[in-house]
Amino acid sequence: MATQRVLPQSKETLLQNYNKRLKDDIRSILDNFTEIIKTAKVEDETQVSRATQAEQDHYEMHVRAANIVRAGESLMKLVSDLKQFLILNDFPSVNEAISLRNQQLRTLQEECDKKLISLRDEIAIDLYELEEEYYSSSCGQWDGVELPLCEAFHRQDIWGSPETTSDPSCANPEDTDHLGTQESIQCNLNSHGSSTSEQS
Amino acid sequence: MANDRLRALEDVEKEIALVLQSAGTIVLELSKEKANASLLDRQLNQFQTSINRVESELSAQIRYLTQVATGQPHEGSTYSARKDCQMALNRAEYARVKLGELGHTCEMMLDPQT
Repeated sequence: MATQRVLPQSKETLLQNYNKRLKDDIRSILDNFTEIIKTAKVEDETQVSRATQAEQDHYEMHVRAANIVRAGESLMKLVSDLKQFLILNDFPSVNEAISLRNQQLRTLQEECDKKLISLRDEIAIDLYELEEEYYSSSCGQWDGVELPLCEAFHRQDIWGSPETTSDPSCANPEDTDHLGTQESIQCNLNSHGSSTSEQS
Repeated sequence: MANDRLRALEDVEKEIALVLQSAGTIVLELSKEKANASLLDRQLNQFQTSINRVESELSAQIRYLTQVATGQPHEGSTYSARKDCQMALNRAEYARVKLGELGHTCEMMLDPQT
Protein backbone atom coordinates (compact mmCIF):
# COMPACT_ATOMS: atom_id res chain seq x y z
CA MET A 1 0.00 0.00 0.00
CA ALA A 2 1.27 3.47 -0.82
CA THR A 3 0.25 5.64 2.06
CA GLN A 4 1.70 9.07 2.45
CA ARG A 5 3.61 9.08 5.70
CA VAL A 6 3.47 12.23 7.79
CA LEU A 7 7.02 12.62 9.01
CA PRO A 8 8.10 15.06 11.65
CA GLN A 9 9.23 18.27 10.10
CA SER A 10 12.86 17.77 11.05
CA LYS A 11 13.09 14.31 9.45
CA GLU A 12 11.36 15.45 6.27
CA THR A 13 13.56 18.52 6.06
CA LEU A 14 16.61 16.35 6.62
CA LEU A 15 15.71 13.95 3.82
CA GLN A 16 14.93 16.83 1.45
CA ASN A 17 18.30 18.28 2.33
CA TYR A 18 19.93 14.96 1.47
CA ASN A 19 18.20 14.95 -1.91
CA LYS A 20 19.30 18.50 -2.63
CA ARG A 21 22.90 17.77 -1.67
CA LEU A 22 22.93 14.71 -3.91
CA LYS A 23 21.59 16.61 -6.91
CA ASP A 24 23.91 19.58 -6.38
CA ASP A 25 27.03 17.44 -6.02
CA ILE A 26 26.29 15.29 -9.06
CA ARG A 27 25.51 18.42 -11.08
CA SER A 28 28.73 20.05 -9.90
CA ILE A 29 30.86 17.06 -10.89
CA LEU A 30 29.29 16.80 -14.35
CA ASP A 31 29.37 20.54 -15.12
CA ASN A 32 32.93 21.08 -13.95
CA PHE A 33 34.19 18.02 -15.80
CA THR A 34 32.42 19.10 -18.99
CA GLU A 35 33.92 22.57 -18.69
CA ILE A 36 37.41 21.14 -18.19
CA ILE A 37 37.05 19.08 -21.37
CA LYS A 38 35.81 22.14 -23.26
CA THR A 39 38.66 24.25 -21.96
CA ALA A 40 41.17 21.60 -23.02
CA LYS A 41 40.36 22.32 -26.66
CA VAL A 42 43.08 24.48 -28.23
CA GLU A 43 41.62 27.41 -30.16
CA ASP A 44 43.42 29.12 -32.97
CA GLU A 45 41.91 32.56 -32.43
CA THR A 46 42.01 34.06 -28.97
CA GLN A 47 41.14 37.51 -27.68
CA VAL A 48 44.32 37.75 -25.63
CA SER A 49 47.76 36.38 -26.29
CA ARG A 50 48.31 32.64 -26.20
CA ALA A 51 50.35 32.78 -23.05
CA THR A 52 47.65 34.73 -21.22
CA GLN A 53 44.95 32.43 -22.52
CA ALA A 54 46.96 29.40 -21.48
CA GLU A 55 47.47 30.86 -18.03
CA GLN A 56 43.78 31.60 -17.71
CA ASP A 57 42.83 28.10 -18.87
CA HIS A 58 45.31 26.58 -16.45
CA TYR A 59 43.82 28.52 -13.52
CA GLU A 60 40.25 27.69 -14.58
CA MET A 61 41.03 23.98 -14.85
CA HIS A 62 42.68 24.12 -11.46
CA VAL A 63 39.59 25.65 -9.89
CA ARG A 64 37.20 23.28 -11.66
CA ALA A 65 39.27 20.26 -10.63
CA ALA A 66 39.14 21.50 -7.03
CA ASN A 67 35.35 21.85 -7.40
CA ILE A 68 35.10 18.26 -8.60
CA VAL A 69 37.12 17.03 -5.64
CA ARG A 70 35.04 19.12 -3.24
CA ALA A 71 31.82 17.68 -4.71
CA GLY A 72 33.25 14.17 -4.39
CA GLU A 73 34.07 14.75 -0.72
CA SER A 74 30.61 16.21 -0.16
CA LEU A 75 29.12 13.05 -1.65
CA MET A 76 31.23 10.92 0.73
CA LYS A 77 29.91 12.98 3.66
CA LEU A 78 26.38 12.46 2.35
CA VAL A 79 26.93 8.69 2.24
CA SER A 80 28.22 8.81 5.82
CA ASP A 81 25.13 10.76 6.94
CA LEU A 82 22.86 8.29 5.15
CA LYS A 83 24.59 5.37 6.88
CA GLN A 84 24.03 7.01 10.25
CA PHE A 85 20.41 7.81 9.45
CA LEU A 86 19.87 4.24 8.27
CA ILE A 87 21.29 2.71 11.44
CA LEU A 88 19.15 4.93 13.67
CA ASN A 89 15.88 5.05 11.75
CA ASP A 90 15.56 1.94 9.63
CA PHE A 91 13.20 0.17 12.00
CA PRO A 92 12.53 -2.96 9.91
CA SER A 93 16.22 -3.86 9.84
CA VAL A 94 16.75 -2.89 13.50
CA ASN A 95 13.81 -5.10 14.49
CA GLU A 96 15.18 -7.95 12.43
CA ALA A 97 18.66 -7.57 13.95
CA ILE A 98 17.19 -7.54 17.48
CA SER A 99 15.03 -10.64 16.89
CA LEU A 100 17.95 -12.49 15.31
CA ARG A 101 20.20 -11.69 18.26
CA ASN A 102 17.47 -12.69 20.74
CA GLN A 103 17.02 -15.98 18.92
CA GLN A 104 20.75 -16.71 19.00
CA LEU A 105 20.97 -15.95 22.72
CA ARG A 106 17.91 -18.04 23.53
CA THR A 107 19.28 -20.97 21.52
CA LEU A 108 22.53 -20.76 23.44
CA GLN A 109 20.69 -20.59 26.75
CA GLU A 110 18.49 -23.60 25.92
CA GLU A 111 21.49 -25.63 24.82
CA CYS A 112 23.30 -24.77 28.04
CA ASP A 113 20.32 -25.72 30.20
CA LYS A 114 19.72 -28.93 28.24
CA LYS A 115 23.31 -30.02 28.86
CA LEU A 116 23.04 -29.14 32.55
CA ILE A 117 19.84 -31.17 32.88
CA SER A 118 21.41 -34.21 31.19
CA LEU A 119 24.43 -33.81 33.46
CA ARG A 120 22.14 -33.68 36.49
CA ASP A 121 20.35 -36.84 35.38
CA GLU A 122 23.64 -38.71 34.89
CA ILE A 123 24.95 -37.61 38.28
CA ALA A 124 21.65 -38.60 39.93
CA ILE A 125 22.04 -42.13 38.55
CA ASP A 126 25.59 -42.36 39.86
CA LEU A 127 24.58 -40.89 43.22
CA TYR A 128 21.80 -43.44 43.61
CA GLU A 129 24.28 -46.27 43.08
CA LEU A 130 26.79 -44.68 45.46
CA GLU A 131 24.16 -44.30 48.14
CA GLU A 132 23.06 -47.91 47.73
CA GLU A 133 26.64 -49.01 48.18
CA TYR A 134 27.29 -46.64 51.05
CA TYR A 135 24.25 -47.41 53.15
CA SER A 136 24.67 -51.13 52.75
CA SER A 137 28.29 -51.01 53.94
CA SER A 138 29.77 -50.46 57.38
CA CYS A 139 31.06 -46.98 56.44
CA GLY A 140 27.56 -45.61 56.84
CA GLN A 141 27.72 -46.02 60.62
CA TRP A 142 29.24 -43.54 63.09
CA ASP A 143 29.05 -44.26 66.77
CA GLY A 144 26.13 -46.59 66.09
CA VAL A 145 24.14 -43.90 64.24
CA GLU A 146 23.48 -44.08 60.54
CA LEU A 147 25.55 -41.28 59.07
CA PRO A 148 24.12 -39.65 55.90
CA LEU A 149 26.35 -39.63 52.83
CA CYS A 150 26.35 -35.84 52.64
CA GLU A 151 27.35 -35.54 56.28
CA ALA A 152 30.16 -38.08 55.79
CA PHE A 153 31.36 -36.13 52.76
CA HIS A 154 31.22 -32.92 54.75
CA ARG A 155 33.21 -34.41 57.62
CA GLN A 156 35.74 -35.90 55.21
CA ASP A 157 36.12 -32.43 53.71
CA ILE A 158 36.73 -30.89 57.17
CA TRP A 159 39.30 -33.55 58.10
CA GLY A 160 41.04 -32.97 54.79
CA SER A 161 41.66 -29.23 55.45
CA PRO A 162 44.59 -28.46 57.81
CA GLU A 163 43.05 -25.21 59.16
CA THR A 164 40.15 -27.07 60.79
CA THR A 165 40.44 -27.28 64.58
CA SER A 166 37.17 -29.08 65.24
CA ASP A 167 37.55 -32.60 66.58
CA PRO A 168 34.73 -34.95 65.62
CA SER A 169 35.10 -36.78 68.90
CA CYS A 170 34.40 -33.53 70.81
CA ALA A 171 31.19 -32.88 68.92
CA ASN A 172 28.01 -32.92 70.95
CA PRO A 173 26.38 -36.29 70.22
CA GLU A 174 22.86 -34.82 70.63
CA ASP A 175 23.54 -32.12 68.06
CA THR A 176 25.17 -34.67 65.80
CA ASP A 177 22.16 -36.99 66.15
CA HIS A 178 19.71 -34.15 65.47
CA LEU A 179 21.76 -32.85 62.59
CA GLY A 180 22.37 -36.38 61.33
CA THR A 181 18.66 -37.20 61.41
CA GLN A 182 17.59 -33.95 59.73
CA GLU A 183 20.25 -34.15 57.05
CA SER A 184 19.64 -37.86 56.62
CA ILE A 185 15.98 -37.19 55.85
CA GLN A 186 16.89 -34.30 53.52
CA CYS A 187 19.63 -36.22 51.70
CA ASN A 188 17.47 -39.31 51.29
CA LEU A 189 14.61 -37.20 49.97
CA ASN A 190 16.91 -35.37 47.53
CA SER A 191 18.70 -38.43 46.20
CA HIS A 192 15.78 -40.81 45.93
CA GLY A 193 13.47 -38.03 44.77
CA SER A 194 15.76 -37.19 41.85
CA SER A 195 16.36 -40.83 40.98
CA THR A 196 12.60 -41.50 41.14
CA SER A 197 11.97 -38.65 38.72
CA GLU A 198 14.74 -40.00 36.48
CA GLN A 199 13.27 -43.52 36.55
CA SER A 200 9.80 -42.23 35.79
CA MET B 1 18.68 -6.63 5.55
CA ALA B 2 20.49 -3.86 7.40
CA ASN B 3 23.85 -5.21 6.36
CA ASP B 4 22.78 -5.29 2.70
CA ARG B 5 21.91 -1.59 2.72
CA LEU B 6 25.08 -0.62 4.54
CA ARG B 7 27.10 -2.75 2.15
CA ALA B 8 25.38 -1.03 -0.78
CA LEU B 9 26.38 2.35 0.66
CA GLU B 10 29.97 1.18 0.98
CA ASP B 11 29.89 0.16 -2.68
CA VAL B 12 28.61 3.66 -3.48
CA GLU B 13 31.65 5.11 -1.73
CA LYS B 14 33.91 3.00 -3.94
CA GLU B 15 31.97 4.16 -7.00
CA ILE B 16 32.52 7.81 -6.02
CA ALA B 17 36.26 7.16 -5.79
CA LEU B 18 36.05 5.47 -9.19
CA VAL B 19 34.32 8.58 -10.64
CA LEU B 20 37.13 10.86 -9.50
CA GLN B 21 39.78 8.40 -10.62
CA SER B 22 38.35 8.02 -14.13
CA ALA B 23 37.92 11.81 -14.46
CA GLY B 24 41.57 12.27 -13.52
CA THR B 25 42.69 9.57 -15.97
CA ILE B 26 40.75 11.23 -18.81
CA VAL B 27 42.30 14.64 -18.13
CA LEU B 28 45.75 13.07 -17.83
CA GLU B 29 45.33 11.25 -21.11
CA LEU B 30 44.13 14.43 -22.84
CA SER B 31 47.22 16.25 -21.63
CA LYS B 32 49.48 13.90 -23.65
CA GLU B 33 50.51 14.74 -27.17
CA LYS B 34 49.12 11.52 -28.54
CA ALA B 35 46.04 10.50 -26.58
CA ASN B 36 44.92 6.90 -26.67
CA ALA B 37 41.37 7.05 -28.03
CA SER B 38 40.29 3.61 -26.84
CA LEU B 39 41.50 4.34 -23.32
CA LEU B 40 39.62 7.64 -23.39
CA ASP B 41 36.43 5.89 -24.49
CA ARG B 42 36.75 3.25 -21.81
CA GLN B 43 37.42 5.75 -19.09
CA LEU B 44 34.57 7.97 -20.24
CA ASN B 45 32.15 5.03 -20.19
CA GLN B 46 33.40 4.15 -16.74
CA PHE B 47 32.88 7.73 -15.58
CA GLN B 48 29.33 7.92 -16.89
CA THR B 49 28.37 4.47 -15.59
CA SER B 50 29.76 5.18 -12.14
CA ILE B 51 28.14 8.56 -11.76
CA ASN B 52 24.75 7.23 -12.89
CA ARG B 53 25.06 4.33 -10.47
CA VAL B 54 25.94 6.67 -7.60
CA GLU B 55 22.97 8.92 -8.31
CA SER B 56 20.47 6.07 -8.69
CA GLU B 57 21.64 4.17 -5.62
CA LEU B 58 21.64 7.21 -3.34
CA SER B 59 18.23 8.31 -4.62
CA ALA B 60 16.86 4.82 -3.91
CA GLN B 61 18.27 4.87 -0.38
CA ILE B 62 16.77 8.31 0.31
CA ARG B 63 13.41 7.16 -1.07
CA TYR B 64 13.47 4.08 1.17
CA LEU B 65 14.33 6.19 4.21
CA THR B 66 11.47 8.55 3.41
CA GLN B 67 9.12 5.55 3.57
CA VAL B 68 10.40 3.88 6.75
CA ALA B 69 11.59 6.77 8.95
CA THR B 70 9.17 7.59 11.76
CA GLY B 71 11.05 10.24 13.69
CA GLN B 72 10.70 8.25 16.92
CA PRO B 73 13.61 6.61 18.72
CA HIS B 74 13.76 2.83 18.60
CA GLU B 75 13.17 1.30 22.03
CA GLY B 76 13.97 -2.34 21.28
CA SER B 77 16.58 -4.15 23.28
CA THR B 78 18.24 -7.54 23.59
CA TYR B 79 18.95 -7.03 27.28
CA SER B 80 16.57 -9.68 28.66
CA ALA B 81 17.83 -12.43 26.34
CA ARG B 82 21.42 -11.44 27.07
CA LYS B 83 20.77 -11.58 30.81
CA ASP B 84 19.11 -15.01 30.59
CA CYS B 85 21.99 -16.34 28.52
CA GLN B 86 24.52 -14.89 30.95
CA MET B 87 22.73 -16.57 33.88
CA ALA B 88 22.73 -19.90 32.01
CA LEU B 89 26.47 -19.59 31.41
CA ASN B 90 26.94 -18.73 35.11
CA ARG B 91 24.97 -21.88 36.04
CA ALA B 92 27.18 -23.99 33.80
CA GLU B 93 30.32 -22.41 35.23
CA TYR B 94 29.10 -23.02 38.80
CA ALA B 95 28.36 -26.67 38.00
CA ARG B 96 31.82 -27.00 36.47
CA VAL B 97 33.47 -25.54 39.59
CA LYS B 98 31.50 -27.79 41.91
CA LEU B 99 32.30 -30.89 39.86
CA GLY B 100 35.95 -29.86 39.91
CA GLU B 101 35.88 -29.65 43.69
CA LEU B 102 34.14 -33.04 43.92
CA GLY B 103 36.73 -34.59 41.65
CA HIS B 104 39.53 -33.07 43.68
CA THR B 105 38.05 -34.42 46.91
CA CYS B 106 37.67 -37.90 45.42
CA GLU B 107 41.30 -37.83 44.29
CA MET B 108 42.41 -36.79 47.77
CA MET B 109 40.44 -39.61 49.34
CA LEU B 110 41.85 -42.17 46.93
CA ASP B 111 45.43 -41.01 47.36
CA PRO B 112 45.95 -39.13 50.64
CA GLN B 113 49.74 -39.06 50.11
CA THR B 114 49.49 -36.29 47.47
